[in-house]
Amino acid sequence: MRRYNPFYFIGQAFEGLFRNGVMSFASIAVLTSLLVVIGGFTLLVTNIDVNLDEFGLINQIVVFCDPNASDEQIATIGEAIGKLDNIESVQHVTKEEGLEQMKAEYDIYDDVDEANNPLPDSFVITYLENEKVPNLDYQLNQIEGIAKVNNRLDLATKIEGFKRGVMLVFVWFLVILGVVSIFIIINTIKLSVFSRRNEISIMQYVGATGWFISLPYIIEGAVIGIVSSVAAYFIEWYIYSYIEEMVITDLQMISILQFTDIRGYVFWGFVGLGIITGVLGSIISLARYLRQ
Amino acid sequence: MIDFVNVKKAYPNGTMALKGIDLHIDEGEFVFVCGPSGAGKSTLMKLLLREERISSGKLTVGEYDLSELSNVRVPYYRRELGVVFQDFRLFPKKTVFENVAFAMEVVGTPKSLIARRVPAILNTVNLNGKQDSFPNEISGGEQQRVALARALANNPKVIIADEPTGNIDPKMSLEIMSLLIKINKLGKTVIVVTHEKDLVDYYKQRVVMLDNGLIVEDRVGGMFNAQV
Repeated sequence: MRRYNPFYFIGQAFEGLFRNGVMSFASIAVLTSLLVVIGGFTLLVTNIDVNLDEFGLINQIVVFCDPNASDEQIATIGEAIGKLDNIESVQHVTKEEGLEQMKAEYDIYDDVDEANNPLPDSFVITYLENEKVPNLDYQLNQIEGIAKVNNRLDLATKIEGFKRGVMLVFVWFLVILGVVSIFIIINTIKLSVFSRRNEISIMQYVGATGWFISLPYIIEGAVIGIVSSVAAYFIEWYIYSYIEEMVITDLQMISILQFTDIRGYVFWGFVGLGIITGVLGSIISLARYLRQ
Repeated sequence: MIDFVNVKKAYPNGTMALKGIDLHIDEGEFVFVCGPSGAGKSTLMKLLLREERISSGKLTVGEYDLSELSNVRVPYYRRELGVVFQDFRLFPKKTVFENVAFAMEVVGTPKSLIARRVPAILNTVNLNGKQDSFPNEISGGEQQRVALARALANNPKVIIADEPTGNIDPKMSLEIMSLLIKINKLGKTVIVVTHEKDLVDYYKQRVVMLDNGLIVEDRVGGMFNAQV
């Protein structure tokens, strides 16, 4: 039975990493940058989504009833809304529930009780299509007993547009940095292969398979990926913590995810992406050996 | 064992290196392949090592049909061969033992078998006591014997030596050739590419003479051909 020593492959991989130290460092630096940028954009987009959800800007309109409307009138308003086109769901928020929500979010409502509650009953409407919102807005304004229609479509559209812009920049960064990273890793591995060309030629003459020859270089690529991902994780952590603190202190209107809640995703995401990029670069540069 | 049937080899630049070779080598034979520069000796070696594919004809080595052999099968085919080069091609940072063991490691031989077999092979090539030396600590002839030991490491059926005495002095050359004869007597098929007339004449083995891509003489117990 053929038995291969795994330490041989790992040892050869590290030997290659140190033999071409400068190129290995360059690969790690570029891949780390790529991962930090990817992580940064992903966290930005995720936080935008969280805020959009929180503000209820996604496919939602809030209508406030006349404060003097009776319970029967309010029920009639709810039925009328439910019959309109482009409606997914309607949720009735009583003025008592509204007060509870406000108390939970803002300290200034602490002294307000039900006797002096200024809030009217409201309906949170989730609609289906953005394009039909102006029409829906008009129809809601025609219903008797509705005092105000809070249609935040403009703001939602602007934030959605910003998100799309961020995604576009993100995709381009991803493509450019991805190509540069793979290109540099390919050259690092090629240098490593070149410096061991005599060894490889002897291995070929004594019957080593393409995989046996290539495995140390694939491990070398994976190690570059792992080192880069760990470095990127700590950089991302540092940057994100700084932004998190700034948002909590100065921009209280904006919600931000806690890094401690998402660090597992960030770390394993980086490790996965790092290994895939490193190994892919190695495989491309070793194609001629692997075909054997 | 080895069969060339009307083998032709043309390179992409149009050079016709072999123009129709018919050659049969039996198992356990010893063959010198000789000829002037450009005769086609190197191409013949490259075809045997499956570094190059034949352009037409048929070439078989044992059970392997090299005309059809896929790239994936090449490493397994090469395990049937032992190769010795003019420039030894040893690893300078590995000891004599490690150089020989390396050939066995790359094909996944268990360590215990390597530990038993390497000293025995070094004994066959008269390198007892040198196993811990590095290549730069031993003579050219000894380095070539290490290369020979490495060629024997995986117990191949065929030994191919490409100008094995090209880089060593005449006395050492005789030693290397004697070792190749000894290895041949152990049952291996040995093919030696050389242009050293004195050695060929001295050993009186089968001589295949190439010139201009064709076999011009093939004689058992032959001499370095005066016709060429």
